[in-house]
Amino acid sequence: MSAHPYLRAYMAGITIPTMLLLVLLTVFIFARHVYDVSTPLERIIAFPMAVAPNAWGLWNIFYVSRHGRRRLPIGFHGAILPFLIAPLAYTVCWLVDFEIPAPLLRVFPFAFPVFLVVFYLVWKHAVAFFNDLLGIS
Amino acid sequence: MKEHDEKPLRDFLKQALPPIGETAPRRDLWPELLRRLEGPRAAVPWFDWVLAAVTLIWLLLFPEAIPVLAYHL
Repeated sequence: MSAHPYLRAYMAGITIPTMLLLVLLTVFIFARHVYDVSTPLERIIAFPMAVAPNAWGLWNIFYVSRHGRRRLPIGFHGAILPFLIAPLAYTVCWLVDFEIPAPLLRVFPFAFPVFLVVFYLVWKHAVAFFNDLLGIS
Repeated sequence: MKEHDEKPLRDFLKQALPPIGETAPRRDLWPELLRRLEGPRAAVPWFDWVLAAVTLIWLLLFPEAIPVLAYHL
């Protein structure tokens, strides 16, 4: 199973954010249409729907492309991703003129290290599992 | 569009897109995937369990971080 390693890497990379997207969209639909949350979430929903999964896929392609060369363990490789995604996410909010709620802004500096841990664990165990399943490493 | 009008278009499309021949994989890939699924898994080190537990507790203490995290995943 060595054909198309980058396609496999992309597929393995996007699996987790794509699965979580179902949960996120369900929460979004309930918040918007059942609980009438006034925050214009539809302006920023494109980010977790399109940008984040592709970023994960491309980041995994980058990881697989380093096979045989010096590279970080996959957990640490994944933990670098928030440093790229967070500025992108903020830029999208700024571009679409989305005002980030103050409590979320306040918690972000403390939450960011926790995000690194989450990304480390998810990449080390989940993305590595899918990579292994698809015969790439 | 009438039937006789469609024929040149159909011929043109057939000419432009020739049959691609064998489309099925040469071998069944499912058993190999099953073998990989059922294969031995690396044990999760205790340190990762601690990290996961601490993260979970932190998210329960500060639930406002959950939407921010979900937005980045």
